[in-house]
Amino acid sequence: MSSVIEIKNVTKEFKVLNRREGLKGSIQDLFSRDYKIVRAVDNISMQVQQGEIVGYLGPNGAGKSTTIKMMTGVLEPTSGEILVSGNVPYENRTRNAQQIGVVFGQRSQLWWALPLIESYRLLKEIYCIPDADYTHMLELYRSLVDLEPLLHKPVRQMSLGQRTLSDILAAFLHNPKIVFLDEPTIGLDVSMKAKIRTLIQALNQEKHTTVILTTHDMGDVDALCRRVVIIDKGKMLYDNDMEHLKGFFGSYRTLKLRTDGDHAAQAAAMQKMLPELKVSADTEWISVLVDESRAHVIDVLAQLQKQYTIRDMQLQEISTEEIIKKIYEEGVQ
Amino acid sequence: MNLKRYVTLTRAGIMESLQFRLSAFIMVLGNLLYLIVTFFLWKSIYAAAGTETVSGMTFNDTLIYLVLATALFGFMDMYIVWEIGRSIQSGQIVLELLRPMQYRKYLFWAYSGSFVTQFFFTFLPTFLIVAAVTHGAIRFGVNLLFFVISVVLAVSINYSIDFLVGTICLYTESIWGINIMKQVIVLLLSGATIPLAFFPEPLHSVALCLPFQSIYNAPLTLLLDGEPQMQNVLQILGTQAVWVVVMGLASMAFWKVSIRKITVNGG
Repeated sequence: MSSVIEIKNVTKEFKVLNRREGLKGSIQDLFSRDYKIVRAVDNISMQVQQGEIVGYLGPNGAGKSTTIKMMTGVLEPTSGEILVSGNVPYENRTRNAQQIGVVFGQRSQLWWALPLIESYRLLKEIYCIPDADYTHMLELYRSLVDLEPLLHKPVRQMSLGQRTLSDILAAFLHNPKIVFLDEPTIGLDVSMKAKIRTLIQALNQEKHTTVILTTHDMGDVDALCRRVVIIDKGKMLYDNDMEHLKGFFGSYRTLKLRTDGDHAAQAAAMQKMLPELKVSADTEWISVLVDESRAHVIDVLAQLQKQYTIRDMQLQEISTEEIIKKIYEEGVQ
Repeated sequence: MNLKRYVTLTRAGIMESLQFRLSAFIMVLGNLLYLIVTFFLWKSIYAAAGTETVSGMTFNDTLIYLVLATALFGFMDMYIVWEIGRSIQSGQIVLELLRPMQYRKYLFWAYSGSFVTQFFFTFLPTFLIVAAVTHGAIRFGVNLLFFVISVVLAVSINYSIDFLVGTICLYTESIWGINIMKQVIVLLLSGATIPLAFFPEPLHSVALCLPFQSIYNAPLTLLLDGEPQMQNVLQILGTQAVWVVVMGLASMAFWKVSIRKITVNGG
């Protein structure tokens, strides 16, 4: 297996004019040479193998889009090297474009006024897709989604979900090696999100296409990504498997109990009984955060059951969302 | 070169422009109003002058010239500056840059469809009406061939100028002022609003040295010249060809430099 994307020590800096306030400031700005350097991406390195789906995560303004733009060739890195399937993207944007597909959740590359099929025909010519491949691809699409009603509908009359779906299919149409999906599920309803996830998964498996996915929806990550890369303030925080990510904070699970009597008082008593665990209470539940490397949930439950009447219980895995939130807020120790 | 690629883009452009029927009709109507205003304006200019000919042109000559210039304008005018500017402001340009085609070419061919529709909607009807009404002011001879060649060259020059001006939007991030400025300069110096013959001397010579006159003045001169002199024709077409190359190279070079700035400092 060879890597299709290689990024080595890439840094991207922008020159931004220091803007002043007020009318006077705005007029001064016209002649100002007072720039500051903003480092949007700071010394990032990674390699992506053919066929991987990588979740590229980070809070708003972390530098995700800048990295993607560098990989697509729209931006040139200030320093460092990028190779996308053997090309230096910004030097060879047009050739690189043939190898990649892009979906920006907020935009569409489709011809707005025309029925979808016309957009696909145009893309077929623009990307020089051979007839056989094009027919084959449409066949595949038909087997994955209910394509017929979409094909003859003008893009401007589509719902956001239909349009996103069509845009994703458009990005895969020329069978690119890599597809960049920038927040593809933004603004979509639950069922459409599920549909899009299934579609991405299927296309990835069928065509062995590498997918780089940025999203703020951890549902996307859970459903699609084996590997996640997290950046914040331009710096790489994490690059590893999802499993590692969960184990990263210890394998925590939350045991939630409902008992007879006053939760607060009981929680305090339990905390004394289980000094190495963290017990908290609200009106509904008593929550025991169990670090599985130290204690087993079953043992804790058995111990507690001797002293308390447990009327109801729940076991909660720590969610990806919570882990990511923790990383965004506290970073990686 | 993949010719089919371009034909498909043209075809989509035609379909796209036909989607907006109402706008096509309003365009015809707007042109008509403009022609009526032009008619009365020049009628009063000739009345005030009190002579049959002004600057060597009769009222009929002037009117035929201006009507055809308007029709030609309706067909050749492109909203490229507008298109590039909007694309930059909305960020849509990122997607257009990511097509495996040069942006300059892509934009031209994506736009070419509207040439075809505009040709049939505005130019051809006007041309036929003028030909019928004026009884032979337009000769149907070899001059038509020269005219067609000249229009093709003019379209190319016009596109290069538009693309060049549109590229400025990469720096200014505003469209309106730049577009208006371009419009005024091109319309005046190309002879689209006032025949170049009416220009006072220094301006007349200056206008002839600029690329703009190759857009409207050149093809119209060839069309209205009933007895074309080969030497004259070749001179006009030659000048146009030179401008095609010069403006083409200039717009390409300026774009290349500018897009580098964008890839370095973000869009």
